[in-house]
Amino acid sequence: MIGFLRSFASRPSTLIGLLVFLSVVVIALIADWLYPGSPFRMVARPNLPPLSTGYLMGTDMLGRDLTAALVHGSRVTLSIAILATLLTVAIGTIIGAISGYYGAIVDDTAMRVTEFFQAIPSFLFAIVLVAVVSPSRLSIVLAIAIVSWPSVARLVRAEVLTLRTRDFVRAARVGGLSDMRILFSHILPNAMSPLLVSASVVMATAILIESGISFLGLGDRNAVSWGYLIGTGRTAVRINWWLSALPGFAIFLTVWSLNLVGDGLSTWLDPRKTETGRHP
Amino acid sequence: MSSGRIQFLLGRLLKSILVLLAVVVLNFTILRLAPGDPALILAGEQGAADAAFVDQIRKDFGLDRSVPEQLAVYIKSLATFDLGLSFRERRPIATIIGERLPATLILTLTAFALSLLIGIPLGALAARRPHGMVDVALTTVSTAFFAMPLFWTGLLAIIFFSVWLNWLPSYGMMTVGAPLSGLAAFLDLVKHLALPASTLALFYISIYLRITRAAVLDVMGSDYVRTARAIGLPPTRIWREHILRNALLPVITFASLQAGHLIGGSIVIETVFAWPGIGRLAFDALLQRDYNLLLSVFFVSSVVVMAFNFLADALYVLVDPRIEAGASA
Amino acid sequence: MFLAHALARLSSALAVLCCLTSLALAQKSGGTLNLIVQPEPQTINLGINRLGPTSFVGSKIYEGLITFTPKLEPKPALAESWSISPDGLTYTFNLRKGVTWHDGKPFTSADALFSFQKFLPAVFFRSKLVLSEAESITAPDEHTIVFKLKAPFPGFMQIFEATGGTIMPAHLYEGVTDFRNAPANQQFIGTGPFKVGEWRRGSFVRLVKNDNYWDKGKPYLKEIYFHIIPDANSRSIAFETGKVDVLRAGDVENFDISRLASEPGVELTEAGWEFLQPIGYLHLNNRRKPFSDVRARQAVAHAIDRKFIIETIFGGFGREINGPFYSSKPYRDASAETKYEFDVEKAKKLLDEAGLKPGPGGIRAEVELVPLPYGEMWQRQAEYVREALGAVGIKANIASVDVAGWSQRLTTFNYDIGHNFLYTFGDASIGINQTYLSVKGDNTGTTGGNVHGYSNAEVDDILVKAAHENDPETRAKLYSRFQQIVTKELPLLWTHEMVFPTVFRKKVRNLTLTGLGTNENFADVWIDQ
Repeated sequence: MIGFLRSFASRPSTLIGLLVFLSVVVIALIADWLYPGSPFRMVARPNLPPLSTGYLMGTDMLGRDLTAALVHGSRVTLSIAILATLLTVAIGTIIGAISGYYGAIVDDTAMRVTEFFQAIPSFLFAIVLVAVVSPSRLSIVLAIAIVSWPSVARLVRAEVLTLRTRDFVRAARVGGLSDMRILFSHILPNAMSPLLVSASVVMATAILIESGISFLGLGDRNAVSWGYLIGTGRTAVRINWWLSALPGFAIFLTVWSLNLVGDGLSTWLDPRKTETGRHP
Repeated sequence: MSSGRIQFLLGRLLKSILVLLAVVVLNFTILRLAPGDPALILAGEQGAADAAFVDQIRKDFGLDRSVPEQLAVYIKSLATFDLGLSFRERRPIATIIGERLPATLILTLTAFALSLLIGIPLGALAARRPHGMVDVALTTVSTAFFAMPLFWTGLLAIIFFSVWLNWLPSYGMMTVGAPLSGLAAFLDLVKHLALPASTLALFYISIYLRITRAAVLDVMGSDYVRTARAIGLPPTRIWREHILRNALLPVITFASLQAGHLIGGSIVIETVFAWPGIGRLAFDALLQRDYNLLLSVFFVSSVVVMAFNFLADALYVLVDPRIEAGASA
Repeated sequence: MFLAHALARLSSALAVLCCLTSLALAQKSGGTLNLIVQPEPQTINLGINRLGPTSFVGSKIYEGLITFTPKLEPKPALAESWSISPDGLTYTFNLRKGVTWHDGKPFTSADALFSFQKFLPAVFFRSKLVLSEAESITAPDEHTIVFKLKAPFPGFMQIFEATGGTIMPAHLYEGVTDFRNAPANQQFIGTGPFKVGEWRRGSFVRLVKNDNYWDKGKPYLKEIYFHIIPDANSRSIAFETGKVDVLRAGDVENFDISRLASEPGVELTEAGWEFLQPIGYLHLNNRRKPFSDVRARQAVAHAIDRKFIIETIFGGFGREINGPFYSSKPYRDASAETKYEFDVEKAKKLLDEAGLKPGPGGIRAEVELVPLPYGEMWQRQAEYVREALGAVGIKANIASVDVAGWSQRLTTFNYDIGHNFLYTFGDASIGINQTYLSVKGDNTGTTGGNVHGYSNAEVDDILVKAAHENDPETRAKLYSRFQQIVTKELPLLWTHEMVFPTVFRKKVRNLTLTGLGTNENFADVWIDQ
């Protein structure tokens, strides 16, 4: 484990990214312990600026504690992002794998479907979906997954296309293993590394999409996410800048750390590029 | 051109039309599932209504027919390139989109050009010495811009450049109330374009920087570059003739994929900067349940993307003889 | 002959000139007024749309027969004078002579007749409803229009201002039957002080001075720009940086209004909403448990601190209200109202009595709360109400809706608590009746209707009677009884009398002269350069 960390986090940027992301995860996990009770409670005078006694990051227009909201928000935001990522990767992997493995008409159909998603403006489509199903955490997760899976599917398809002609796959086929077995226990594990990298990007994008939806006023009103905080504070930037500045910063930090981790992952999983790529 | 190629292209065209049809049918259905009946909303805006009155509104707007019938009517009119009337404005949709499209194109194309012109060279620069100072600085900063929510970057830019420094206008596409023409009008446009275009560009620059960097590193590790190096070609020549040229291919592929999305505009940027483009139009149409208008935005943007794809395929067919056999691309 | 004619013209020109110069001492002509219209209107034809943005722009282009002073006395516009017969059955308007439409055609009684007989009833249900009170509408000569009513209807005068009784040009609609889709709707031809210059969609609407306006010497302004800026921060910045001169309520947060108003050279007014009389509503669904029980509804009234709503959520802009009538509405009777003070214990007791005992987690009932999707202040109010009800054991879940979804939920009784605000207009018969009269089925999209599903035969009877009662004393009695009943039965909760502040640069003069405020035609507005 230590060895893994040492080699994976050898780049300072990856290390920083990893530390930041892990601390966000930890904060999300212990949110209830840090700030017990609902973050929606009105606990103090409204509009207290940051660094007020007892309210490190100030309060909002209703007198709710922004620190508590940010801490609880990390949980909601991360859960939306993680769920959306899992769903995206699951749909993308299944469709990409099947279309790459079977080819022919299956592949053709799947590619038409991804073309469909390439043809329509994805953020707009996500917003339409959220508005149609009516905004909630679930509909936001679904919308993000629906507009994000095609890129994962393309990636997996490409990997499967190259892997399916390899000897070990041929051997498995000759050995009479079922298609599903070959696909899921032989081919996909070998496509894991690019998938991991793309998952980190999907997750970062999911956080950004959620915040964008909230910015436009279509977020879920029953859960404090960072996007929600920006959504509620966005009209008052000139008065209570901290209400949208701090959640915006939290999003920025998290997405940034995810990208740094993603970069680190891709370098670590595919060292060829950097080993041989070093310019003399 | 041989019949095989023509056949291939025709098949491709047919498939594109099928995808377009799917875009229309699916979006039409999704929108009809949305809560909120446009006729009732219109009735509500009047302050009062009765059933007969609502029926009249339905009839006036063609909402009295069944959904499949409406869909059939809609597709039929699309086939003749008639986008129909907007529910809310009672004006031809083609006119409405025509009013907004130039603004979106100006914004997105500028941002697109900026991001290519800056992102690619920076990406190449970063790749020259991976993990060197320049690389670390460039990737870190670009990742940072990639991580900022767009509206956030936009707001920061407005507060800094418009409010504090008072250098650039914060909203709109032109100085309202100043009848400018010629060069003055153009400069006015450039001033208004500066903030929204660079905000959007900053986001895309980081993408192109990363793609270019990865592509260059990929090519640098390839056999022929190693060979070129082994036979002692001068580094600058290897760099120019082998690495850059080959690394640009994936970048251009990605850029052509992006091109279609330029039509959809950026709802967020258009909102923050009051840019009168398609994205904002579509968003307002969604909120007002102006189905025809929203569908048309999807349709138009899909047509453009499909046209790009088809064009790319056609070029591909012309240069790549292997397609002759009719293999699927 | 020729000379005499020329002299006459010259002298009249001189007369006009002298008036203009004398006026110029007080009011200065010229200048551009920069406003914000938010959101962008779907049309600026006041004849076919009465939503806020259309009214704001369209009221400068189109006119009504009259307008109203802040005290709601009628004031001449396209009608020079009028008379109402003592029995309250005949309304005669004498129309102004020498008025022309923006396309140069003369305005006559034929236009007024067309508007009230054909156009308005076909396009607006509310106009159809009120105009059905008339037995006949006639035009005895080119400059007179007469309404004969079936029964007295004292609120009748209220429908003749520009946003309710828009006068449309008959000559553009000859042979037209489908008024809603008529191509002439896109021409924006009115009689008002401003004409349409240019409408650059998504950017601005430009109105220019109507040089042939009937009120000679007016308007003072050369042009008006309505900027279209979809984001609240950008609107605030546009005002700060001097790009626009006026911000209306809703353009920016109320907090921001106070901040901007404290800047030098900026003034704030609360005037201009006397005619519309907006009230904040918390609809309680009377057709569904738990709010089918009057005690549960009263408990809500005790559980919510309405002062907090005014002070904290609406930034201090608002006034207390305890009944259906706005404080300045005729026949308001404060002594008839039952008041519900903020008292959590009382609320709990009432809930106990209603049989809503605390269950696991102290939850007595779970309800669905539909917020008004008109911006952050309303969302915040919904969040406050959720917390306040939670404190007495009612768990409220906020539904996420956009305007379309909100309207559907409310008008089909698919909610428990619904937020809303309504213009209640000068006379009760116009703005109040439909919110309390029993309805069968749903409200066919009418968010201003009886969306709480209240039904009381006595109230139905009183409201219909009072609307057609010519004797003010009898009317007062009827309305007192009405206020007594509904404040006791509480079909909904009136949260506050809304105050809509307008901030503007001091150089803008005469901005809100009448009871219609910024929906007035702006013929009198001038800029002190």
